[in-house]
Amino acid sequence: MELLRVEALKKYFPVKRGLAGPSQWLRAVDGIDFSVDEDRIFALVGESGCGKSTVARLVLNLATPTSGKIFFGGKDISELKSTSLKAFRRSLQIIFQDPFASLNPRMTVFDTISEPLKIHGIVEKKNMKDACAELLKKVGLGAEVLNRYPHEFSGGQRQRICIARALAVGPKLIVADEPLSALDVSIQAQILNLLQELKRETKISFLFISHDLKIVHYFSDAVGVMYLGKIVERAKTEDLFREPMHPYTVVLLESAPRIFHSPTHPQARSPKVIGDVPSPIHIPPGCPFHPRCPRRFEPCDKFVPLLEEPVSKGYSGRLVSCHLWNPWE
Amino acid sequence: MSLLEASALNISFRTAAKPINVVNNLSFAIEESEVFGLVGESGCGKSLTALSIMGILPPNAYAVGSIKFRDKDLLKLDSESMRQLRGKELAMIFQEPMTSLNPVLTIGYQIAEVMTTHFGLSKKEAFNKTVELLRDVRMPSPEIRIKEYPHQMSGGMRQRVMIAMAVACNPSLLIADEPTTALDVTIQSQILELLQKLREERKMSILLITHDLGIIAENAQRVAIMYAGRIAELSDAKELFQNPRHPYTMGLLNSLPKERGVPLKPIPGSVPQPGRLPDGCKFSDRCEFVIPECRTEEPELRLLPENISGSSHFARCIRSEVISWNYSG
Repeated sequence: MELLRVEALKKYFPVKRGLAGPSQWLRAVDGIDFSVDEDRIFALVGESGCGKSTVARLVLNLATPTSGKIFFGGKDISELKSTSLKAFRRSLQIIFQDPFASLNPRMTVFDTISEPLKIHGIVEKKNMKDACAELLKKVGLGAEVLNRYPHEFSGGQRQRICIARALAVGPKLIVADEPLSALDVSIQAQILNLLQELKRETKISFLFISHDLKIVHYFSDAVGVMYLGKIVERAKTEDLFREPMHPYTVVLLESAPRIFHSPTHPQARSPKVIGDVPSPIHIPPGCPFHPRCPRRFEPCDKFVPLLEEPVSKGYSGRLVSCHLWNPWE
Repeated sequence: MSLLEASALNISFRTAAKPINVVNNLSFAIEESEVFGLVGESGCGKSLTALSIMGILPPNAYAVGSIKFRDKDLLKLDSESMRQLRGKELAMIFQEPMTSLNPVLTIGYQIAEVMTTHFGLSKKEAFNKTVELLRDVRMPSPEIRIKEYPHQMSGGMRQRVMIAMAVACNPSLLIADEPTTALDVTIQSQILELLQKLREERKMSILLITHDLGIIAENAQRVAIMYAGRIAELSDAKELFQNPRHPYTMGLLNSLPKERGVPLKPIPGSVPQPGRLPDGCKFSDRCEFVIPECRTEEPELRLLPENISGSSHFARCIRSEVISWNYSG
């Protein structure tokens, strides 16, 4: 069952304002489609500035799209009002990257976790302590931490508190925006195991946003690779990592340093990308990746490739937006 | 003779009560034109080690022991002789290039300053040399970029500027403290490749500090793994990844995601705070191989009798020979 569907989603930010309105736009999200099914993990991967966090904010209804639609449980979220909006907020929660910035330093763990329970009237006041202790147990913390403040915890423990807060209202979907990036390797593994356990128990879906391909490969069911506001490749996780199709996906996979090199991935790397990601204010014409692409050819700077199934090359069930894979005439 | 040799290096912070020791009895040597990796999680003392080599420890910290650089002991030099070495013989690049550059001066001025200071070049000569340097670090259109300010550049380009500044005087040792942590993977691989190229051309040694084992595996010849201010294991990089002999190193490798669906084996608990370290082996309270002897006396960093590659392999563990490790991935 489909839980979240995003259709032709765009978010442009005005840059220079003139007398006659904005003269330039930053195209943060430039027409993307994807869906997240129940009990599934969909990952958005990309480098900084590709628009993946803007997608998170749009999905959470914290920003209004320039155009396009977002459906959650079949309902268009832009049309939600008062009570239905509150119900929507209850079924969708977020975990942020930085557990140091996303907890209020002046609130105890109890205050932090009980707040959503109060707002949504989920638990009676007299049962609040028990409910919070129960939530903390789920994330591997003891009830004795309830009266402590965020500064008394390590990064990993703080991220556990953030997860408990997100779980409090019993969400259907959790948007996790780089939830592991601020943590040390040994703690990352702890949190990743915790998320996986919770997922098994509660069947919560995830929109998992990350730049770390190793983690995405390990954790997600399906992946969308973003570049300059567009999804350039979308596939099941196994398919994408077994045979990446878009040259950008290939480059991303090959740029990540590896400890062990299998014979299929020799240490001598194939061509690297040149230069930096262009500014999303001046997106290159044609394929946005063409100036850096090691495999560009004549149509690439002229025609914008569409995100399509490369049926003519004998593939189905996955999408790629590249002239190498789809007919361009 | 080694280029740099740290022996029995201790770094402590002065506090109102008794000093807190954060780097304990550290000994290692960096050979001519090698990349020596220093790995550890946040708070393990790896950055302080670097700062003590450069002689720029924070004012409330002090180092004892010795750091021999060629024939000088860096810890015994007065500030004037240290100033002459810094920039000329020893150079350092940091994680966040934006905060290490002066925002109100052009990058050309900032790079040229190094050369006018150490070599007394005239303005014109320094300018020409700067353009050349920018070309060496693969800066696109250096003649134009030289007049720009840091904010006009991307993170990758700013790091190139930092590198240009660092290598301006042909240092014998470049300390790179998490040089690519703030950068995207595609830019990261460009910067690491650049550092390797410069190392070969200029025959300089690099002390590469990172938390990313993949970066070490692809770039370093030898590596020291740090835990709680101590070296836990020191070896040839190839040997270390094939045959880790310290439980902490094994734990780090086990924390990395491998096969999908296979639960990760994280290191339990979190890094103890300096000043609250356990008795005996500092890793004993998180170690899966712990035996009672581990908790009574702190093990020495000792040379292991057997190893795969025939290079010297050190580990600070009394059970190195009996514990086994198997990497599946």
